This record gives sequence, C-alpha cells and structure tokens, in this order.
Amino acid sequence: MANMVTITVDGATIRVPEGTSVLDAALEAGICIPNLCHMPGVEPIGACRVCIVEVVQGNRRKMTASCTLEAREGMVVEAHSEAVLRARRNIVELLLAEAPNSRAIQDLAARVGVTKSRYPMRNKDCVLCGRCVRVCDEVWQSRSLGFVGRGKDRRVALPFDERPETCKRCNACIDVCPMTITPCPGPMKEGGICGLCESQVTMVENIGDTCVWCELGRGFQCARWQLRGLLAPA
Amino acid sequence: MPRLPNAAALASLRKELKEDDQAWPIRVTLSSGTCGQASGSIAVLRALEESLQEEGLTDKVHLRVTGCHGFCQQEPLMIVEPPDVLYCSVKPEDVPEIVTETLVKANVVERLLFAGPASDRRTRREADLPFFSKQDRDLIGQNRFIDPCDIRDYIAHGGYSALAEVLTSVSPEEVIEQVKASGLRGRGGGGYPTGKKWEQCRAAPGDAHYVICNADEGDPGAYMDRGLLEGNPHLILEGMMIGAYAIGSRQGYVYVRNEYPLAVSHIHTAIDQAREFGLLGEAILGSEFSFDVRVARGGGAFVCGESTALMASLEGHVGEPRPKDVHTVERGYRDQPTNLNNVETWANVPRIILNGPDWFAGKGTDKSKGTKIFALTGHVKNTGLVEVEMGTTLQEIIFDIGGGPQNGKQIKAVQTGGPSGGCLPVSRFSLPVDFEALAEAGSMMGSGGMVVMDDSACMVDVARYFLKFLQDESCGKCVPCRIGIDRMLEILTDFAEGRGTPEQLDLLEDLAWTVTVGSLCALGKTAANPVLSTLRYFRDEYEAHINEKRCPAGVCRALVHYRIDPDLCVQCGECIEACPHDAISEDGDQIEIEDSLCHKCGICQEMCPSEAISKA
Repeated sequence: MANMVTITVDGATIRVPEGTSVLDAALEAGICIPNLCHMPGVEPIGACRVCIVEVVQGNRRKMTASCTLEAREGMVVEAHSEAVLRARRNIVELLLAEAPNSRAIQDLAARVGVTKSRYPMRNKDCVLCGRCVRVCDEVWQSRSLGFVGRGKDRRVALPFDERPETCKRCNACIDVCPMTITPCPGPMKEGGICGLCESQVTMVENIGDTCVWCELGRGFQCARWQLRGLLAPA
Repeated sequence: MPRLPNAAALASLRKELKEDDQAWPIRVTLSSGTCGQASGSIAVLRALEESLQEEGLTDKVHLRVTGCHGFCQQEPLMIVEPPDVLYCSVKPEDVPEIVTETLVKANVVERLLFAGPASDRRTRREADLPFFSKQDRDLIGQNRFIDPCDIRDYIAHGGYSALAEVLTSVSPEEVIEQVKASGLRGRGGGGYPTGKKWEQCRAAPGDAHYVICNADEGDPGAYMDRGLLEGNPHLILEGMMIGAYAIGSRQGYVYVRNEYPLAVSHIHTAIDQAREFGLLGEAILGSEFSFDVRVARGGGAFVCGESTALMASLEGHVGEPRPKDVHTVERGYRDQPTNLNNVETWANVPRIILNGPDWFAGKGTDKSKGTKIFALTGHVKNTGLVEVEMGTTLQEIIFDIGGGPQNGKQIKAVQTGGPSGGCLPVSRFSLPVDFEALAEAGSMMGSGGMVVMDDSACMVDVARYFLKFLQDESCGKCVPCRIGIDRMLEILTDFAEGRGTPEQLDLLEDLAWTVTVGSLCALGKTAANPVLSTLRYFRDEYEAHINEKRCPAGVCRALVHYRIDPDLCVQCGECIEACPHDAISEDGDQIEIEDSLCHKCGICQEMCPSEAISKA
C-alpha cells in the first residue's frame, strides 16, 4: 500500500498516493482543471500551462502548473481563484489565436470562457503540446518524433525529416493530437471561434465552473468520461 | 612539481614564491583578457618581448600577462613598477619608447597616461584614477596581480590559504555557518542566500552530491563572470572546493559558454595545474577531502544559464528547463542533490573564510552584503567592469565611476539585470543598488549588466530589442513564454510602425502579467520586465507612439519623417545626388522629399551643407 498524502484543492480534501500530481488528484476527485498537454500514462512536461493553479502557503501564493506539481502532505491548492482564471483565460486565448481551427482548442476556449481573441489569428497546425512526441517515446518506445529548434522555430519533426525505421506506423501520434479531432463545421467568425461552441459557452457562463462534458474531455480521457463508462480507462 | 602533501608545504611554497616575485627589480604587467586582446594586447606583448630582448633586459624585468583589470575602455593597459605608472591604450609602436624611457631610465611617458576629461592633468597611478579609486575592488582587483595561467602566482598572492584553513581546522558545518553569517547571496540574479542553499544541499539525501559553477553568462552587455573566470580561475576553483567540502561533494562541474574561448582555456589550465599540485584529486593537502572538477562547454543557448536547463544540458539532454517545484538542491544533476552557484558567488567564498563573515557582512546594505561587480556599458565615458559595495547609488556608478554621458548628451535611463531586468529613469538614480531596492523599482540586480542609455534611445525600441533577444533565446517549451513573448513583440512592432492602438496598450499589460505568472522558468517569468519597466517609467513615449504616431527619440523609422526647410536650403542638389532611393526631387524652385519613397536612411541629412534637412 502506497503512502497516502492529503491535499486540499478548492477547499476539498483529497487523499492520494504519494507521487500523484495535483492535476491527477483533482481530476480523480472530479475537480476539472482544464488541461491540454497532459496525458495519462506519460511524463508531464508542463508545456501548455493551461492547468496552472495557485499553491497557497500562508500569505504567499505561487502559480505553477498542476500536472508537474507533486502532491505533498498538507498542500493547499486553489485551481479556480480569480488570478488563476484570468491567467488561464489569457493562456488559452494565446492558444486559440495560434490554432483557431482546432476543435480541441475551441472546446478548451469554451470551457474557460474565451470566445474572442484580441490577437490576430494565425491558423497554425501545431501548438507544440508534445503529446505525440511523448506517446511515441514513452508508450511505444519508438522515439521517432522529437522537438527540433528553439523558441519560435521549435517544431515537431521526424529525424532528418524522414520517417525512420523505428516508426511502427501505429498512428498513436495522430490519435493523441489535439489538432486532429474533427474540426468544428461552423463558419469562422472574425476574431473569434465558431458559432456552434457558443451553446457550451453559455453553459459555462451560467453554471460557473461546473463540468460541461466538453468534447475535449472525451478526447483527452477526462476522468468524468471514464467514470461514466463512456471511455475505456487509460 | 610534486603534489603538496599538507597545508604546511603549501605555506612554505607560498613564502618561497613571494620572495622570488619580490626579487625582480622591475615588474611589467600587461592586461590581456578578451577585451585587451581585442584591442591588440597580443601585438603589444610581442613588441615588448622583442624590445626586452634587444635591450638585454629579459633577466631584469618580470613580465606578467594578466586578465582584464576592468577598465575595458582603455585596453590594453600596462603597469610598470617601479615607478608604478599606468599606461592606457598601449600600441605596439609605443613599446620601444616605454622600454627605453620607463624601464631603462625610469622616466614617465606622459602622453600614454590617462587623461581626465575635465582637465589636462594626467593620472600616473592606477589607484588615482577616478574610475578605480571610487570602487571597492576586492574581487576583480586581484586580477592585476595574477597570471591566470600560472597557479604559482595565485598561491604567492595568498591563494588556497582559505582552503588549507578549512581543511585543517574548520568543520563543514562551521563553513556553512560562516557563509550564512556573512550574508552572501547568489550573484547570478536570484539572490538566494548561499549558506542556506549549501545547508539544504548538504541535508538532502542522495547517492552523490554535486557542485556546479554556472559560467554560462549570456546577458547582452554583461561579462563579469568572464572577467573573473579568465582573469582568476583558481579563485573560482578554491571557492568550489570550499563549497564541496561544506556540502560533502566529490565532483564539481564548471559549465562555461563556448563563446568564451579564453575562459575555457584558462579554467582547463587551472584545473590541470591544481591537479598537478595536489589541490584537486584524492586526499587534498593530506586531508580526507577528495574532489575533482570537470569543464562542460555550453553550446550557445542563453536558456542554459537557467539552473535546470543547465543540468539537463550537462546530462546530455536538450537544454530545456523543467519545473522547479522540487528544488535542484534536492534533485538536480542526475536527480542527485546539486548545488549550483554563479562564478561571482564562488569567487566570494575564499575571502569570507579568510577575512571572516563579519568583515563581509560589514559591507553593503541591510539585506545585500559585500561587493558586486557590474558590467558598465552603453552611453557612458568609461565602460568596463565596476566593483562597488552593495548600496552604492546608480548615480555614483554611472556619473562618478562611469564618467557620465558621452558627447554632451543627456543620460536618460539605465537597464540593469540584462534582458530580464528593467529600465530605470534618471529620476531613480539615487536608488542604492541592492537586491530589494532594484526589485522594488521594477528592475532587478540580475547578474550585473548595466547598460546606460542617453536621449538618443527610444524606450519602445529598447523594449523591442530585449524582447527580440528573448524570443530568439526562449526554449519554446511553454506557451506563455513562446507565444506570449512573440505576441508582445508583435504589439510593440505595431507601436513602432505606427499601427498601435490604445487598446493594445491594455492588452500588452494584461499579456505581460500572464507571461510573468504563467511561464515555466525564470526566463519567461522575467521576460516581461523590459516591457513593464519601460511602461512604468516611460509611458509617455508609448503614448506618443500610439496616439501621435511619433517617436520622440527619432529611432522608430516608420514614424520618422525627413523635411527640408526651404528657408535654409541653398538648392545645391547634394541631397538629390546622395539619395539612394530617388526620393528627393526638384519641384519648381523647391527641393522636396517624397515620403512614400523615403527609406529614412538619413544620408541626405548628413550630406546637406546648410543643415536644411531635419528629422521629425
């Protein structure tokens, strides 16, 4: 039996085995912290920063990603404070402006209440979440994908841009990619996201932080979908 | 040289070397660090060796080639003792005169002395120069006495005596207590108490403890660590050895950027010599302490100066930071407890041991102790490495030591702390330089870069420059840093090119906050500082760019317009000839600039004999 630690997330006391991340602990308990690059079964890297939370220690508050934050005994976490919500909205807004046509990102935006972007849209086809790289490396032990370049030149690439012999053509990289969920069929709005998502957005606005059963949740194996038996456990 | 068996052998060797050194009738010191070599010190050295040969002085003159003394503006510097005279900007053709006049006849060559800007009085001694006399040069001042490629010089000047003292009579816990009592804080920028870090690292469980010297200095315009590492590498090694002894480490690494070839070569030489003398390796000076150091060269990534990225790089992985929720003193290099300190932090350790923690704590301000080296660059008369007591005001550093503005211009701001620091206006120059005061004013100490700007600098452009640097150097792993910096730069570019809107200003502030709180590592967390600090102190410049489409300093090209004053124009046609874009033409009896064709290169303004062309 693993050692258990007790943490508090948004006021709820949660007991989890030592070594569990705060994000997993919260999701397990049904507290939906939106996330993008997180994936069950692979190492978290804290790249997308969507799952940021505040760790409260007395008067000090420190914002950090919950996927890479190990739950430690007595830790107090706020996943939906004013500051966290604001930062999360702004981060998702950045993502939305990068890839407004991704269904996953549209859902993510709807989930956190972002309907417009204040930046010019860019329409990229990769947001560098690294899910493909890690599933290839850690789950399939193939290491056929990796990051190349630095800063704004960073991209996901095959070795020397050629499919290597180590690639097993398992297509896991495609399955986990947030850009490959069938895009929203609605017409693009100028500087915003498509109309079809707005029903969900309204729900978010009406019922605050309640889970809206977003498509993202299914694609990303959200604990809620698992609990309902709609999704095989990861 | 056989290994030194114990501390007594080291002491007697030091005595011997000191006597040897003092036996020379004449001593000549030539500074030849990176800045000196760039100014031609190698050619001066050759000329000097030749001249000494010709005059038959080789057995009378001790020639010592040292690292940078700090006064980079006047390199190469040469000191002749006796009569203790400092020559500035020495050229190879000056050398024969120096040899025949100063070395042979003990006369001073007046024209090579430092000339003060205010008067014709020339300064003879290094110590009398205002640049040096107003500093407290405990660390960088040692460079002048030490040939960095010769361990014997370092030993002769008291080197490794702190190590000997620690190994013979101080317990590791006591060393940590002394460093804690001294109040030394990390010089790399974080300002974390060094003694506390050592204590935590020592207490952390692990198979092996590591110490690392971070010499991956990459801030634009900052080179304090280079000056120390290439000028006095044994000082760093001694500091690391004492730290390793205190922490319980057997292996250290110096992570130095490959762009510092001289520092790389000097630290290699220093390590080889220290091994030869038995100061590195097994059972150092007959004690139970064993320690060795290896050098790792950085591949040119700025982000590898961040501790976790540095350790990833050291392990052979891509240099990307990881979250620091578990600190590196617990889980660092190879997941073992690792103590990483900056070059200057390590360099401070030996003298804290030798002079005692009270001596160190007696300097500086309430919370920032000791001295700090700054790289003073930009629009000031005297650029170079400046070491001052903490708490010295910016005013003293920039005007008294730096000599104030060049060419009669007005100094407008200073950028401290490198790209992650901030710009402080003249009105804040009375600020004492310490960790808290700078942070409170919206900038930071950083590693010690200090770029002075006069009124020819546009603050929007400055913020843009630093963001561009950070955009290139961000590893690209996390969203707020990669996309956030890119978007901030996009907004600033809009401002600079006349497309800015007031809404974008609010957006910029919101985004800057997001990047600060949301980023993974310190690079991202501080990336917005150039924007936030310029917004705080120079908001009027931003507003001029946005509301009036005007760049007050005349730097942002898209907002600059050249105009010909018809009253001053003599219609000579020089500007029409000179314009490379055919933007100037004669229209009737007037010469006019066609704005749509103008590339704002300013050649016409330079060519105009009657100063009729102005920039607005």
